[in-house]
Amino acid sequence: MFFYNLRLAWISIKQNVSLNLLMVCAIGLGIGVSMSMITLYAMMSGNPIPEKSDQLFAVRIDNWDPDEAYTDYQGRETQPFQHSYKDAMVLRSSTIPLRKAAMYKGYFVVEPANDTVAPYGQVVRMTDRDFFAMFNVPFIYGGVWSESANDLGERVVVIAKETNDKLFGGEDSVGRQIKMGEHQYTVTGVIDTWNPLPMFYDLNNKAFGDAELLFMPFAIISHSEFDRAGNTNGWKAERINSHEEFLNSENIWIQFWAELPDAFTQDAFKDWLDSYVLEQKKLGRFPRPLNNALDNVTQWLEVNHVVPDDNRVMLALSFMFLAVCLFNTIGMLLARFMGKVSVVGLRRALGASKFSIFYMHLVEVALVGLGGGLFGLLLSYLGLFMLRESVEGIEKLATMNLPLVLMAIALAIFASVLAGIYPAWRICQISPAHSLKTQ
Amino acid sequence: MLKMNKISCVYQTDLIETHALRDIDLNVKAGEFVALTGPSGSGKTTLLNLSGLLESATSGTYLLDGEDVSSLSDRQRSSIRNEKIGFIFQSFNLIPDLNLFDNVDVPLRYRAMGIEERRRRIENALELVGLSSRMKHLPSQLSGGQQQRVAIARALAGEPKFLLADEPTGNLDSLMARQVMELLEKINSEGTTIVMVTHDPELARRAHRSIELLDGQISSTQLFGVSAEEPDEKTEAESVA
Amino acid sequence: MEIRPILSAILRNKTGAILLAIQIALTLAVVVNAMFIVQQRLKFIGRPTGIDIENIIVISSQGFGSSYDHEQTVFSDLELLRAIPGVKYAAHISRFPLSGGGSRSGFTSTTDSDAESVGANYYFAQNGTIDALGVKLAAGRDFLPTEILTGEQIDNGVVASSVLITKALAEKLFPDGNALGNLVYGGTGDSSRVVGIIEKMHGAWVSWDGLNQVLIFPGLRKDSGQRYLVRTEPGQRDRLIPEVESVLEKASVSRYLDRMEPMSEMVGRSYDNDRVVANGLIIVIVLLVSITGLGIVGLASFLVRQRTKQVGTRRALGAQKYHIVRYFLVENWLITTMGVVVGTVMAFGLNYWTATEFSLPKLDPVFVPVGILGIWVLGVLAAAGPAKRASNISPAIATRTV
Ligand SMILES: Nc1ncnc2c1ncn2[C@@H]1O[C@H](COP(=O)(O)OP(=O)(O)OP(=O)(O)O)[C@@H](O)[C@H]1O
Ligand SMILES: [Mg+2]
Repeated sequence: MFFYNLRLAWISIKQNVSLNLLMVCAIGLGIGVSMSMITLYAMMSGNPIPEKSDQLFAVRIDNWDPDEAYTDYQGRETQPFQHSYKDAMVLRSSTIPLRKAAMYKGYFVVEPANDTVAPYGQVVRMTDRDFFAMFNVPFIYGGVWSESANDLGERVVVIAKETNDKLFGGEDSVGRQIKMGEHQYTVTGVIDTWNPLPMFYDLNNKAFGDAELLFMPFAIISHSEFDRAGNTNGWKAERINSHEEFLNSENIWIQFWAELPDAFTQDAFKDWLDSYVLEQKKLGRFPRPLNNALDNVTQWLEVNHVVPDDNRVMLALSFMFLAVCLFNTIGMLLARFMGKVSVVGLRRALGASKFSIFYMHLVEVALVGLGGGLFGLLLSYLGLFMLRESVEGIEKLATMNLPLVLMAIALAIFASVLAGIYPAWRICQISPAHSLKTQ
Repeated sequence: MLKMNKISCVYQTDLIETHALRDIDLNVKAGEFVALTGPSGSGKTTLLNLSGLLESATSGTYLLDGEDVSSLSDRQRSSIRNEKIGFIFQSFNLIPDLNLFDNVDVPLRYRAMGIEERRRRIENALELVGLSSRMKHLPSQLSGGQQQRVAIARALAGEPKFLLADEPTGNLDSLMARQVMELLEKINSEGTTIVMVTHDPELARRAHRSIELLDGQISSTQLFGVSAEEPDEKTEAESVA
Repeated sequence: MEIRPILSAILRNKTGAILLAIQIALTLAVVVNAMFIVQQRLKFIGRPTGIDIENIIVISSQGFGSSYDHEQTVFSDLELLRAIPGVKYAAHISRFPLSGGGSRSGFTSTTDSDAESVGANYYFAQNGTIDALGVKLAAGRDFLPTEILTGEQIDNGVVASSVLITKALAEKLFPDGNALGNLVYGGTGDSSRVVGIIEKMHGAWVSWDGLNQVLIFPGLRKDSGQRYLVRTEPGQRDRLIPEVESVLEKASVSRYLDRMEPMSEMVGRSYDNDRVVANGLIIVIVLLVSITGLGIVGLASFLVRQRTKQVGTRRALGAQKYHIVRYFLVENWLITTMGVVVGTVMAFGLNYWTATEFSLPKLDPVFVPVGILGIWVLGVLAAAGPAKRASNISPAIATRTV
C-alpha cells in the first residue's frame, strides 16, 4: 500500500510541477532559515563538558565597591566574575574541593629554536595543575607539571598538539625547551586538541574562541612580571606603581574553579567560603553583603549570557518565519487537493475508505516535505556559509553536525505532514456520491 | 427590437473550424416571445450568446434596439447587458456564497442605484417569483425549480427590455417547468421581449413564434401567436411611454 | 461598495482566508519588529565616531627579547612611517579606540571624595595623536611635546600635567561648561589640567553607553607592544598598507607585526554581531514578504479559478471589467486587513516579549503604520494579476460551463 501510494503521490506531483516546486521552496525556505538559527543556537547552548558539568563550579565572592554593585558588560548587577590575587591565593589553599584551579591569561612571545618558524605572540593559560584532570584534558605525551613546580611557579609548560606540531614537528617533546621572553620553559606534556565550546572556564572575553595552546603554572606571577591578557577590573582607588603593589591590590583578574563532586563537599565549601568572607569583613574587606556564588557549568553559562539575547530573538523570529511558510503550504495544499475533488470522489465511489484517501494524501505531503527538507538543508548550509564568511570566529558555531542534519530533515517532514494533515482530512471528507452529481 | 443580418459565428480550435452559425437573418420585434429549438449542437446557445452580447459574431451586423452593437467596446456592451438584457441560464448560475437577496442584487450593483430603489426592486422581483420569504437563504438550500425562479427574479430585477433564456426548464420536472413557463408568459405579457431556447416542443408551442435551427442555420419558423404582427415602431413607442 | 456581500463570500470560504490572514498577521508582526531592530542596529553601527576611520591604518606589533627598547622603537618607527609619501600623520596610542579593548576609570572635577565619578575610557598618547585620529578640537590645544611623560616617569608615579577630554566627558564633569583650564581628578586624587576639548571621539567598547566619554593622558607607557595609527591622504589607504608593512619589517627591531589593517575593518568587527543581526533580519524580511506575496497570489488565483463561472455570470449580468477587478481587490484587501488587525496586536505582543524578556528597546510605533501600508501595497500588487485575469474571463462562460 505504501509503495502504491508513493507511486500515486509521485504521479500527482508530476501533474502540477510548478505548484509542488513552490511548496518545496516554501518548506525549504522555512527550514533553511530556522535551521540556520537552530544550528547557531544549538552550538552556542551546547554543554562543553557534559560528563561532569554539575560537579564543576565557578567560584565567586563579592569584594566590590560598597556603594555600587559589580555590573557585567551589559550593565546587569551580579557578583564579580574574577578574584584579586590575595583572595585567589586563599581559595587555592582550600583543601575541600577534590580539585581546584585558579587561572588567568598571560601573554608571551614565543621564540622558536628553529629559524623556519618566526617568533609569534601567544596567549598562555596560567593555571594550576588540577586544571587538566578537572576539565578532562587529554594528554598525548607526558603529563602535567609536578606539585612543587606548581607551588614554586617553575618555568614549565604544557603545550597543545598544534604547538607541538609547529615547534617540534609533532615529536614527543617532553623535556625540550621553549624560549619565551628572557626565559626557557621546559615541556612537561603535550595535550591533544581540546576546544570546549563554549570555552566555559573563562568567558570574560570570548565565549566561543579557541582554547589556549600553552599552559603554564599560575604561580609564575608570584616571582616574575610579564604581560597579561584578559580583563582587569577595579573599583578602589589604589596607587599601583609596582608588580608587588599590583598583586596586593584589590584589582580582580583571576578566575577560580573547584570540583565539588557531591552535595556534601559543595555545602562544606560554601560554608568555608562564608567563613572566609566573614573573617575578612572583620578586617575591613568585603564591604558588601555576604553574596558568594557557586555556579556549576550550566548555571555559569546562564550567568554569563553565553547565548546572546539576539540569538534567542532571532530563533523566535525564525520559528515565526517557519510558521508563515507552513501556513502558506497549507494554503497551497488545500488549493491543490481541492482541485482533485472529483477524482477523489470517484475513488471513494470505487471503494476507497476515508482512511486510505487520507493516507494517500499524507504520503504525497511527506514526499513534498522530504523535498523541502533537502532544499532547506541546502539553504541552511548556504546560510551558515554566509555567516562564516561574514563573521570572524564563528566557524565552529556555524557548522552543522550529523544530528542537526537529521533534525533538519525530520523537522521538514514533521512540519509538512503537520501542514498536510488538515488538507488531507478535508479531502477525505469528500463523499463517494460526489462524482455522481457533478453540478 | 433585435435585428440580425447575415450573422455567422465560427469557432477556431486547434484542428478544426466549427461553423456554429451560418448567415443567420433574424428579426425579433418588441414584445415578442420567440422560442428557439433544434437538435443539440445546432447553435442555439451560440445565437443566444450573440443576442445577449456575451460573444461577438465573426461576421454580419446586429442591431439591438435600433443600435448597431457589433463594434461596441467591452464597456459599452457590459452596460447594455446590464441595463437592457436579462439572462436566465440553463444551470441557474446563482452565486453559491450569496443569499437570495444578494444574488438578485448582483446586476443592480453594477448600476448607480440607491439602496432604497435596489431593495424595492429585489423584494418585488422575489415576490413575483414567490420566494420573498426566503430572502436570507443560500442557493444550496433551495430546490432546482426554486433556484431557477431566483434566477428569473435576478433577470427581472433589472427591468430589462429583453429577456434571454437558455433552456430555463432544462433541469426541471414538467410541473416546475410549467410554473416557470407561466412566469415567463406573465413577464412577456407585461411587455418584455423574450427569446427562449427549449427542447420541449410543448413549451415552444406556447411562444408566439418558434424558430428551428439546424447546423447553424434557420431551418423553419412557425407562428403561434399574434404579437409578431404588431409593427416595430408602435411597440417601441409604447415601451418609451 | 459591495463590502457586505464580499464579506459573506469570504465567510463562506473561511479556511483559505483564515490561512492567509494568519500568514499576514505573522508577517506583519515579524516584519514590524524586524524593521525596528534593523533600524536600531543600523543607527547603532552608523553612529559618527569622530575619528577618520576610513583613512587610518592600524598597526600593532610586539617587541621581544632583552635588546628591545620601547621608546626607541616607537620614535624611530614613527619617523619611518611619517616619511612615506601619502602618509599624512603617524602616531602612537596606548590602545585602539573602537577595538573592543581598552581601559576605563572614574574621574571627577572636585577633590570631594563623595562626588559621583564619571566613567571614561582613557588612553595614553602623544602630541599629534589627535591629528592621526582625525578628531577635531572644539577648544584648547593639543599636547605640547614637553608635556609627554616617559615610561620611566609614569612608573615612578609622575602625574600628567595636562589632559585632553571629549566634549561628552566635559559636559558630564563640568555641567557649567567651564572644563577648559580646569582640573580633572583621577581615583587616587591625582589631578591634571584640561588643555583641550575634543569635539567627538569614540572610546573602546561599542555597547558601553559611555562610548563618547574619553580622556587622553600625555605619555608613552612602558610596554612591549606598539600601536600605531597611520592616517593617509584620502583614497591612499589600501595602496599604502603593503608599503607601510615593508617599511616596518625592514626596521631592524626584534618584534613581529600582529595587526596591520584598515581601521574600518577593525571597527567593523566590533559591530559584527549587530551587522549580522541586521543583515539576517533584512533577509528574513525579504523572504517573508515574498512568501506572503506568493500566498496572496496563490489564494487569489485559487479563488479566481474556483469562481470562473461566477465571474462569467457577473459579466453576463453586466459587470464591467473593473467591477470584477475591484471585487477581487476588495476581497483581498478585506482578508489582508483582517490579518493586519491581528498582526498589529501580535506585533506589539512580540515586542512586549522581546522588551521584557531580553531588554530590547520598546517598539517605535511608527513602524506599525509603515508595516500596515507596506502589507496593503503588497496585497494589491499580489492580487492585481489574478484579478486582471479574472476580468478577462469571457461572459460566454456563463452559458458554457456546467
Ligand atoms: N467555445 C467553443 N469553441 C468551439 N466550439 C464551440 C464553442 N462553443 C460552442 N461550440 C460549438 O458550436 C456548436 C454550437 O454549439 P451550441 O452550444 O450553440 O449548441 P446548442 O444548440 O446550444 O446545443 P445544446 O442543445 O446541446 O445546448 C457546437 O458544435 C459546439 O461544439
Ligand atoms: Mg445549448
